Amino acid sequence: MAAYLTHQQKVLRLYKKSLRHLESWCIHRDKYRYFACLLRDRFDKNKNVKDMVKATELLKAGEAEFWANQHPQPYVFADSPGGIAYERYELYKIPEWCLDFWHPSEKAMYPDYFAKREQWKKLQQESWEREIKQLQEETPADGPKTEALPPARKEGHLPPMWWHHVTRPRERPM
Amino acid sequence: MDLPLVLNIFMLLTLTTLITPIIFPLLSNNLKNTPTIITDTVKTSFLISLIPMTIHIHSGMESLTTLWEWKFIMNFKIPLSFKIDFYSLTFFPIALFVSWSILQFATWYMASDPYITKFFTYLLLFLIAMLILIIANNLFVLFIGWEGVGIMSFLLISWWHGRAEANTAALQAVLYNRVGDVGLILCMAWLAYTTNSWEIQQFPSPSQTTTLPLLGLILAATGKSAQFGLHPWLPAAMEGPTPVSALLHSSTMVVAGIFLLIRTHPLFTNNQTALTLCLCLGALSTLFAATCALTQNDIKKIIAFSTSSQLGLMMVTIGLNLPQLAFLHISTHAFFKAMLFLCSGSIIHSLNGEQDIRKMGGLQKMLPTTTSCLTIGNLALMGTPFLAGFYSKDQIIENLNTSYLNTWALLLTLLATSFTAVYTMRMTMLVQAGFVRIPPLTPVNENNPAVTSPITRLALGSITAGFFITSYVLPPKTPPMTMPLSIKITALVVTALGIVLALELSKMTQTLILTKQTPLYNFSVSLGYFNPLVHRLSTTNMLAKGQNIASHLVDLSWFKLLGPEGLANLQLMAAKTATTMHSGLIKAYLGSFALSILIILTSTY
Repeated sequence: MAAYLTHQQKVLRLYKKSLRHLESWCIHRDKYRYFACLLRDRFDKNKNVKDMVKATELLKAGEAEFWANQHPQPYVFADSPGGIAYERYELYKIPEWCLDFWHPSEKAMYPDYFAKREQWKKLQQESWEREIKQLQEETPADGPKTEALPPARKEGHLPPMWWHHVTRPRERPM
Repeated sequence: MDLPLVLNIFMLLTLTTLITPIIFPLLSNNLKNTPTIITDTVKTSFLISLIPMTIHIHSGMESLTTLWEWKFIMNFKIPLSFKIDFYSLTFFPIALFVSWSILQFATWYMASDPYITKFFTYLLLFLIAMLILIIANNLFVLFIGWEGVGIMSFLLISWWHGRAEANTAALQAVLYNRVGDVGLILCMAWLAYTTNSWEIQQFPSPSQTTTLPLLGLILAATGKSAQFGLHPWLPAAMEGPTPVSALLHSSTMVVAGIFLLIRTHPLFTNNQTALTLCLCLGALSTLFAATCALTQNDIKKIIAFSTSSQLGLMMVTIGLNLPQLAFLHISTHAFFKAMLFLCSGSIIHSLNGEQDIRKMGGLQKMLPTTTSCLTIGNLALMGTPFLAGFYSKDQIIENLNTSYLNTWALLLTLLATSFTAVYTMRMTMLVQAGFVRIPPLTPVNENNPAVTSPITRLALGSITAGFFITSYVLPPKTPPMTMPLSIKITALVVTALGIVLALELSKMTQTLILTKQTPLYNFSVSLGYFNPLVHRLSTTNMLAKGQNIASHLVDLSWFKLLGPEGLANLQLMAAKTATTMHSGLIKAYLGSFALSILIILTSTY
């Protein structure tokens, strides 16, 4: 994905955030639906403008109007960035290498889990070199183009950085 | 029957019962704490504390206990003394009742937390520190309790310390309280200097007290009780879990500042400057907080600003020279404010973490008990006749109206009372009434008795507490008995106007007119622009001044100009003037000889 947004992406982002701020202003659903329909109509009227200069001017005017009419305390979902429960459970997300530091008496409480864990760790050690080699081959010279990791290419290989993904903490640790 | 001994024993037994869950796990590995044990301990403590309160009500017995004396230096001794008087005897059962209800609620609210026992231990430590503050007879023990509640507030606000805003809020609480502590330490230093003791009985008479220690005490109360100027920490403290907000930041910790002013009231009585400062500061705080609460959308922030507003009202009462009335308002306020927070906690958990009132609605049918108690709490907050809030709030406004003090403070307080009605009605309409706007898939549930019984217990307290306290306790000063009808019903009229205004405004929001930002709305929503201004300007100022002092004043001036460089400059100047005279001409030298001989000859005469 390149570093620039397309015109379509910008327009759609403006539409979504103006809808969200409209929802913050119009608390009651019927009033919100009325004004949301009006807003949709305003966007739809200029949907088929082919001239990019005119379209960009309309977008700029739309962004200015959004800035003037935005809500000072927009509604943010609790788990989204800026919400009240964002990163609340981050302190319970302990990395998995802490399990290596458990006392043997504590490890003896879960013998089958830790036995299996030794096998998984051995597998991770073996496949680590192969994953790194695959990533080094597949990354272009001036840096990766996307954040997505490639899948495993050969039979019997594991996808790169699989251990990091498999041992990630749960979304809600409790 | 040696009543003072019985009184002392039961009060100390109350405190000791509370300390047992802290001490016992340290003594033996088998005695582990659970949340239920801690809740039952607080319940037992509450029942024990009812006995000395009953003794006091029926016999008026008060006592003063000294447990130990720290023989600090020769003539300055710090006793560990406890004053068991009306204030501590009444506040102990109230604080313990409210804490018991909150702890029982927290067994449900924090049930999914892995460190729930640590949470309960923190709450218990806070309660012990608060009770030490209440029962203290000298400022040293009070300071121990004061700092204790500050530290526990920090630990509890940052309970979910993975969240950056929680850490910032906890730091805000600590820093603002610290600024207030400077005032308390100033007063303690002045008392140690003039009277060599920190005991309340040894306070100098009001005529001997200068205004300086009183200003220190008012600064301490401003910091701890979130008056205007040191207020931002209280809304930020809503980052903590709801039981923390209910216990600390509504009923108990924030009243510690007002309680300090009540305890040290003998120093204030004649000092008109200090009293006027209290009055105006309180009036400004109550109006500012009520203005900010009008446009908030987070239910906990609305209740936090409502607490801030009521604290301003308590400060106004102190300014009217009525500490007992302020204490009555503290007691009644504890009940309904804790209940409002518990109801909001029940709503938040039922809606799966949703705190924004724009996404709540029509909850009356889904959560009947919670919303009924929310309504009772809101009515008590507004000062509805014969509920708990009425007995204290109406008396305060009557006294303010009939006194000959500051009219400006009176107008601000009346406006704030009206705003209280407005934001309370707004909260009620948006949370309980109307159509449902909640997100789908919500575990709406109030079947658990751990939720309903604390809330209903506190509702009972909200309805009856004011009546009971005023019927058993005589007012020490004569309240104003005669006043015109218009003065008598001012509070009621103003509240009714507020309710009507809120109903009209909510009808207006349902018409198809799109609201936009206006300057007044922006002022209210951004909390008066106070936070960014003060947080950035004061720190940049101080740091810039410090840098100036370090680099320009110390480095350049003291070390260079007044030291070697300045001396070198003077020498250079003298050398330059002298070199012009070394011209090599004999006439000049002969002239200087003649001048010197002339001076010597004329000076010997």
